[in-house]
Amino acid sequence: MITLLRFIIFVIPISLISFLYFFINDNDYYPGADFKVSDMPAFELNSLYENSVVNNFDLEGSYLINVWASWCITCRIEHGFLVQLNSQNIPIIGLNYKDERNDAIEWLGKYKDPYRIIIHDYSGSLALDLGVTGAPETFLIKNGKIIAHFSGEVNKRVWGDVFAPVIKKEKVVWNDQI
Amino acid sequence: MLIQIAHFLAILSTGLFLTTFVFSFLFTKKDRNITRLISRIYSHGFLMLTSSFFIYIWLALNDNFSVLYIAQHSNSQLPSFYKITSIWSAHEGSMYLWIVFLCLWGFLYSSYSPNDNILKARTIGVISLIAVGFLSFLLLTSNPFETILPIAPMDGADINPVLQDPALAIHPPMLYLGYVGFVIAFANAISFLINGDKSIKWEESVRIWSISAWVFLTVGIALGSWWAYYELGWGGYWFWDPVENVALMPWLAATAFIHSLSVSSKSQLLRIWTILLSIIVFSLSLFGAFIVRSGIIDSVHSFANDPERGLYLLSFTGLLVFSSLILFSYRLPLLTSKKLITPFSKESFISINNIIFGTLIFSTMLGILYPLIYEYLYLKKISVGAPYYNAIFVPATILACIFLFFSIDSKWQRTYRIINAYTSILFSGIFSLAITISVMLYFVISDLWILVSLFTGLLIIIRYLFVIFEFLINKKYSNPYSIAAHIGLGLLIISISLNSQFSSERAINIKINGDDIYKDYRIKFDNLELIKMSNHDSVMASFIIDSPSGKTFVLNPEKRKYFTRGQITTETAIHATLLKDIYVTLGDQLDDGSWIVNIQFNYFIRWIWISALLMAISGSFLAFSLRGTSR
Amino acid sequence: MIKYSFLTLLLFSNFIMPESLYNFENAADEKRFYSLIKEIRCPKCTSGSLASSNAPVSIDIKNKIIELIKDGKSDKEIKEYIASRFGSSVLYNPGFNQDTYILWIAPFVILLIALSTYIFRRKV
Repeated sequence: MITLLRFIIFVIPISLISFLYFFINDNDYYPGADFKVSDMPAFELNSLYENSVVNNFDLEGSYLINVWASWCITCRIEHGFLVQLNSQNIPIIGLNYKDERNDAIEWLGKYKDPYRIIIHDYSGSLALDLGVTGAPETFLIKNGKIIAHFSGEVNKRVWGDVFAPVIKKEKVVWNDQI
Repeated sequence: MLIQIAHFLAILSTGLFLTTFVFSFLFTKKDRNITRLISRIYSHGFLMLTSSFFIYIWLALNDNFSVLYIAQHSNSQLPSFYKITSIWSAHEGSMYLWIVFLCLWGFLYSSYSPNDNILKARTIGVISLIAVGFLSFLLLTSNPFETILPIAPMDGADINPVLQDPALAIHPPMLYLGYVGFVIAFANAISFLINGDKSIKWEESVRIWSISAWVFLTVGIALGSWWAYYELGWGGYWFWDPVENVALMPWLAATAFIHSLSVSSKSQLLRIWTILLSIIVFSLSLFGAFIVRSGIIDSVHSFANDPERGLYLLSFTGLLVFSSLILFSYRLPLLTSKKLITPFSKESFISINNIIFGTLIFSTMLGILYPLIYEYLYLKKISVGAPYYNAIFVPATILACIFLFFSIDSKWQRTYRIINAYTSILFSGIFSLAITISVMLYFVISDLWILVSLFTGLLIIIRYLFVIFEFLINKKYSNPYSIAAHIGLGLLIISISLNSQFSSERAINIKINGDDIYKDYRIKFDNLELIKMSNHDSVMASFIIDSPSGKTFVLNPEKRKYFTRGQITTETAIHATLLKDIYVTLGDQLDDGSWIVNIQFNYFIRWIWISALLMAISGSFLAFSLRGTSR
Repeated sequence: MIKYSFLTLLLFSNFIMPESLYNFENAADEKRFYSLIKEIRCPKCTSGSLASSNAPVSIDIKNKIIELIKDGKSDKEIKEYIASRFGSSVLYNPGFNQDTYILWIAPFVILLIALSTYIFRRKV
């Protein structure tokens, strides 16, 4: 009985504290990255420029979706890297999030447009379906499935740490037709 | 210059405490002269530390912004009261306060407990050792004495406006006093274990300290809950937030400990529980300090996201917990008792109480840690919140209260013959049932748990009313403090259940000069003012509310924008009565100029605070009645 | 009045949004709504439920919940809807599944074991 008590007395605190110790030192967890695979939600919204309709059937294969807005300051910082990606023929669909059409168009005029298509999500309905909590956020889609999601500024380091490994592992081939 | 003196004094006190510790374990002959010597060295250490702290307060009051911490957390525009409270608004300063309070309890113990207590010297030694540990942590990793030299900033940063609130300012000191107060019980238990003589009766001498610390813990937690209720704007008073849970666990352990202590002080029974609980209370207090400061848990309370500090505190806590548990397990034979617990004696009920409380502490700990474990193992995030804790706490508390009900009037070391209290028990049951059923029928309540909680709370209160009745009529003596505190508990359970059952809210849309009706109350949006204060702008709305019974009152909720950080806060307006609070907050303005206004009716919320107060007051009176008996 | 509106517009211009009002068809729906928003975590905040948060995404989710209530969805369906989009960590109830059953069962098991040990040995 006493030995059992002694055993319990040791095992619980030791495992607890060792676990916490390992947890503090753990580096695997990458804040902001989510690799849960889910379906690309169905949607039908207006595009930013021509006022034509965009829906999910227009988007096939593999591409990025970047959530941005003219009121989002970090988006301005991220922007340069997106332009770079675009020049490497990586298709980026812009999701203009809760933004006034004119403000968005003006912003793009000032800072260049890295997007193949821009969805104007004024009410944030597609964003809600995607699980977006703010801007900027970036999604990697392959064949109708979201395979990577990053909340925050995408730059060279984040691209290398978060997206590049997935692109390599899933053998992603970009859709040129968008 | 002064800050360097304060710094030096802190270092000096560390040295003195270290000396105290060494001496206390060096001298094996325990007579009152040695004890007096050790007390004296300790007191000198304490004197250094408090002088250091008072200098620090002086510097904060006088806007000495060459001190980094004061510059970061205070501001010349702050009222003096908040200049002082800003000292414990962040990590370094609150740690400093914690240590001062720890040493304060040690000082009170060394001054007021009799010198012929064999364990006293070692107890002071253990307290000193803990003080040394924390002081080193403070001075090495979280130094509040750091300076910005040669050029001190002109003014400090403003502290978070949310912190400039009287209740929130007093909440940490109360809590800390409670947390560290249990060091006396802990140190006493450790010295007892080291000493190894099972005949020493240390329990009675520790009662007054433990009960006082318990009172502070209760008040601290209640203050935090009250503040959250009126400040955070959505009418809740307990969120099962990790930091709240981490304060709740020591409180549960402390409550169990006090009860177990009363058993052990009268006999050799339950000694294992009592000592184990004294270790658990203090360990949980330290653990609480770790969790909050390490940033491991995302919470509104997280002071720091510093893994280094987290590691240091974890190691320190770990060391302390391990060594005490090793000692405890080594001395286990000392604590076992050949006597069995008499069935249905008071000891048996308290033993069961210990088990239930132990389970609650375990569950709370599991709830806090499970998301971390889960994330570590599966890399997925989950949340453990109210549904879990309510599912565990509600049944467990009801179970504990049922046992409490039957334990009333039970005897020490004798079987309790329920037959003797047959009338009281039967009639308590009948009255409680009658009231519960009436309430259920009249208000059409279908929630089983609420009805059961209501019934249980009534059982306790009515049973104690019988006890009071018997005291008045038959002069049958009962402990008045126990009666009051447990009635407080019954009241608390009833208030929480009724609050949960009847409270309601609605977001209404209302234009200036317009009105609306909610639950027969007419609300008129009378006015909207722009007010400029010294550190913020405020939009204050004026609502004239007419109750169905004909009373009229005005409520003024606000939305404030603070200059220094651009922070926007909502100030609630509350009309409080014993029955309910009418709770109004100003929401956002719509495109058409109308405002969204949130109205809540929170029933019996005042009774929750009253119950907590009742428990705290009973505890204080009990502690006061024990002075002079601390031997 | 116009002056006040202008001033408040100026002060709190980041607060004006096209927020729809919480209109419910009946009292039961309203009660369900207020209870649901307390049980779902705000995905953007460090801690706190939707009820306690005014973050834009919280407001969006709240409006969505009202829509779903009107559509006749059950509480369970609504929670699943939100969790499938924002992650299972937005539910304060960790659910009872093979990953979490330890969480729920452990307290009762411990209580049972401890109480039986006590009853049979009457020591401690």
